[in-house]
Amino acid sequence: MNIKRSIVLRVRVAFLVVALFAGAIFYRIVHLQFVEGEKWQAKSETINFQYRQVSATRGNIYAADGSLLATSLPFYRVVIDPMVAKEDVFAKGIDSLGLMLSAFYKDKSAESYRRMIKDARSGKKRYLIINRQQIGYQDMQKMSRWPIFRNGRMGGGVIFEKVEKRYRPFNNLASRTVGFVNEDKYGVGIEYSFNEYLEGQNGKALFQRIAGGSWKPVFDAEDVKPDDGYDILTTLDVNIQDVAETALLRQLQAKEAAFGCVIVMEVETGHIKALINLQRNKNGIGYGENYNFAIGDQGLTEPGSTFKLLSMLALLEEGKVNLQDSIDTGNGRFKFYDRYMNDSKKGGYGKITVKEAFEKSSNVAISRLVEQHFGHQPSKFMAYVQETGLHQPLSFQLKGEGIPYFKTPGQKNWYGTTLPWLSIGYEAKLTPLHTLTFYNAIANNGKMVKPMLVKAVARGNQIHERYDSEVLRKSIASSGTIEKLQQLLEGVVQNGTAKNIYTDEYRIAGKTGTAQKLIDGRYTQRYYTSFAGYFPADNPKYSAIVVIDSPQGFAAYGGDVSAPVFREIADKIYAQDLQLNKKENEKTYLANATLPYIQAGRVDELQMLCNKFGISNHVAGEAADGWVKSVPVNRSIQWKPNKTEAPVVPDVTGMSLRDALYVLENKGIKVVYQGKGRVKGQSISPGTPANNAYLINLVLG
Amino acid sequence: MMQDFKNWIDRNLKGDPIIWGIVIILSIISIVVVYSATGSLAYKKSGGDTEKYLLDHSIMIALGLFVMWLAHKIPYRFYGIIGKSLLFVSVPLLLITYIFGSSINEANRWLTIPVINRAFQPSDIAKLALIATLASLLAKRQKNIDDFKNAFLPMIVVIGLVCGLIGLANMSTAILLLSTCLLLLFIGRVPMKYIAMVILVGALFLTSAVFLGQRGSTFFSRIERFMDADEIPFQAEQSFIAISTGGIAGKGPGKSEQRNTLPHPYSDFIYAIIIEEYGMIGGATVLFLYLALLYRGMRIVASSTKPFGGLLSAGLSFALVLQAMVNMAVAVGLGPITGLPLPLLSMGGTSLMFTGFSMGIILSISRGDHQDSAEAVSEGGNKLRKSFQPA
Repeated sequence: MNIKRSIVLRVRVAFLVVALFAGAIFYRIVHLQFVEGEKWQAKSETINFQYRQVSATRGNIYAADGSLLATSLPFYRVVIDPMVAKEDVFAKGIDSLGLMLSAFYKDKSAESYRRMIKDARSGKKRYLIINRQQIGYQDMQKMSRWPIFRNGRMGGGVIFEKVEKRYRPFNNLASRTVGFVNEDKYGVGIEYSFNEYLEGQNGKALFQRIAGGSWKPVFDAEDVKPDDGYDILTTLDVNIQDVAETALLRQLQAKEAAFGCVIVMEVETGHIKALINLQRNKNGIGYGENYNFAIGDQGLTEPGSTFKLLSMLALLEEGKVNLQDSIDTGNGRFKFYDRYMNDSKKGGYGKITVKEAFEKSSNVAISRLVEQHFGHQPSKFMAYVQETGLHQPLSFQLKGEGIPYFKTPGQKNWYGTTLPWLSIGYEAKLTPLHTLTFYNAIANNGKMVKPMLVKAVARGNQIHERYDSEVLRKSIASSGTIEKLQQLLEGVVQNGTAKNIYTDEYRIAGKTGTAQKLIDGRYTQRYYTSFAGYFPADNPKYSAIVVIDSPQGFAAYGGDVSAPVFREIADKIYAQDLQLNKKENEKTYLANATLPYIQAGRVDELQMLCNKFGISNHVAGEAADGWVKSVPVNRSIQWKPNKTEAPVVPDVTGMSLRDALYVLENKGIKVVYQGKGRVKGQSISPGTPANNAYLINLVLG
Repeated sequence: MMQDFKNWIDRNLKGDPIIWGIVIILSIISIVVVYSATGSLAYKKSGGDTEKYLLDHSIMIALGLFVMWLAHKIPYRFYGIIGKSLLFVSVPLLLITYIFGSSINEANRWLTIPVINRAFQPSDIAKLALIATLASLLAKRQKNIDDFKNAFLPMIVVIGLVCGLIGLANMSTAILLLSTCLLLLFIGRVPMKYIAMVILVGALFLTSAVFLGQRGSTFFSRIERFMDADEIPFQAEQSFIAISTGGIAGKGPGKSEQRNTLPHPYSDFIYAIIIEEYGMIGGATVLFLYLALLYRGMRIVASSTKPFGGLLSAGLSFALVLQAMVNMAVAVGLGPITGLPLPLLSMGGTSLMFTGFSMGIILSISRGDHQDSAEAVSEGGNKLRKSFQPA
């Protein structure tokens, strides 16, 4: 068994080697702990490592047509470590740097910038914020070419600290609806309500503190990669929003009102196309988007006469009245228990039909009818309110929705006068959004859809979550009742309180509302005027509500204050909407018999355009590399190849600047240009050898 | 009661009881330390759910022990054949992984098993298979071990092929495996001049793999940084801080501070965390446990009647303990940073199963009862080996 003995011996040798190695490991531990111990312990205290957040890029907010409502842009804070630059670089560059900084920021003299940096350098400071003002990317690029700065972070000591800022391309347009989030994660609007999606998931990386309090990543990659936020696609229409905002602002200024809001909604889908809230600024000058009155708590008010539509719905649905029934409004003053109900017209309307009563918005008529039919059983009236869902929040997509307030029959605060006053829109609180949702349901033939502002959450082209229109009530009343209510609303514009906004072009249906404001428990001479309605009445596409609070002056009724804003918005939408505006306008220009002047460009693009417009066109010869010039030949267009491949300066006249730039710069020719439009002339004539040309001047026009 | 328990153990856990004991103690240490070390990982990746890693790791440890139990049930004479068939499987697997596998740190080392959705390293299989095959080849040729063509050539071809393929993506594992094989050749009485030749061939394969493979630059930069005494790599520095602040008795379980800055505190640098939390005492204990494991493996060589059993046991014990030594050496700064986990202790997912498997084989050899029947199949085994030779 000499083989086995040999093997066992060899194993023992190997074991001894490993055991020695283990001994070496143990020796290293002892060495590290007792010999090098202090060194490492000291190091553990000085080196400062920290897991720091790597921010995810916040998602964008888009309007329905894809225009950007909010996006995140990088801005930079300019900081310098004045100790980094070498003496010669510093001495040579500091004077001109001071000049340039002064010229850029325009807040301090060149001398004071120069001194600030020099003082920091002699004071051995390692971190100096040059200016609190943050600069954009372009400016950062420009600055990094300045003296000292151009030596970079390691040679010049400049640090551009990136800060992400929220940027709204349309400035204040829908700014309250778009909203904001502050650092404490509190905010309003879409930014706040959809923050979960927008903010994404921040990443983490290990950073090491370096001199000057900056943090430097230890490894190249993040330990936890940031997950960029999702984009929010809204239903807002930038054009309608703009139109509505302009119209509302003008009226607010004219009437010196306290605040106003407008909601425009698509009837069928509940998509909110515009949402404007303007409030007089605290300093009394101008108006700004400060609170979402259309949706939020503070927007809860007694709706006033727009609520009469619901009273009519209850009365008609109950089968108690016909539109042609007559009702005596007397002298416009009627006593319920201890309170007088007044009509706005002095002396009253006398004996009128129910239809007229609604059109003229007679408080006496409506309240008497409701009291007469529901007075003995107010809960029956309240059942109709509940039928429409107006008594509860809509669970709208934005946070902070106001909760409607209604009294309950039988409760202590339900007085004998509650029902008559409720029937004309008092003693209850609704937001404009609630009222609009109700009017929209009437426009939508009784189908109540939930208003919505966000239609999808997406990342790039990938839809992450889609929100569909939601039907709240399939039908809020019988079709007969709905039809009658629609007649009533049209009547208001044809003969009633909103006669001033009547137009032949298309039909508007709606109802005015003027509520006295309850301030400190007393009704005052200040009004809350509104107009809710829809258009075109024969086939409603949009519904809208306009609210203007506390207008000044004599004509302070809904018909005079809010309705004209509605009309203006409706006019503009109607004029812009090709689907709505089917009628041929006599003024439409007939197409000119001559061919359009198409100049030069790429053959495939031009052909596509011509084919779309039904202009006959064909290629003459072979379009060498796709660039052509057009030649009109007998009512058709011929594409003549434009030889741009040859090593000569090509003929770019007639091209758009984009095409011309492409063609010329591909040949290595630098382009400068003046004017706007297509290329009219070029400073180097076509055919000149390209290698002689360095700079070409284009004139556009 | 105690008697019942002892009887149950005797019935079910056959083989060397001390190896069983060591593996179980290491498993418990592993669960405790990994739980502590995954704190920052859990915080970063699972939103602070530290129990997720605890549970995952415990399940993998339990599975590893189960595999070990299963493996120790199989008479070890079968492992010669199993090893060779695994070798035939692992070569294409290594190739597939190199080309298609998922990459962690830019090297394709992992292959995902479709159904259970777990990633594993085919190099784990290859390692086991190579050692088993080599033990079998050596055992069969003990009588004519000096014969270059018939005895030595097949071995060197197999070693070169497998180490080369592993080296494409994972140089540290390949070098370690090559060293283990060399050690095994030495133990198996291969003449020293041949071993010197293997070193040459191996070096050739490994260099070519470095230049052709994905991790060539990492390999050189790590060696360079290790040689450069002035600049200590970040990981090593953090590891030294952990070790030196641990002291003799340690900071206490779960009190590690360096786990937050040390990369991979739950695998590559778990030894540093052990010393930080349990001090020099803990570090020495772990060191001792590995040495004891090796010692018991060595005892089996002495007590086994057949060369195959002894060589297989020696090969597997050395493979495991050498890797452990290298890992600990890295943690204390005796070697360049390798990225090799500490076997039986690191959080390693599926590789725990392969460790369990090789421990099971060692246990199977240590059972006296399997040896008796070894003679009966050796004829059949012979034929198989003959058919293997041309490869």
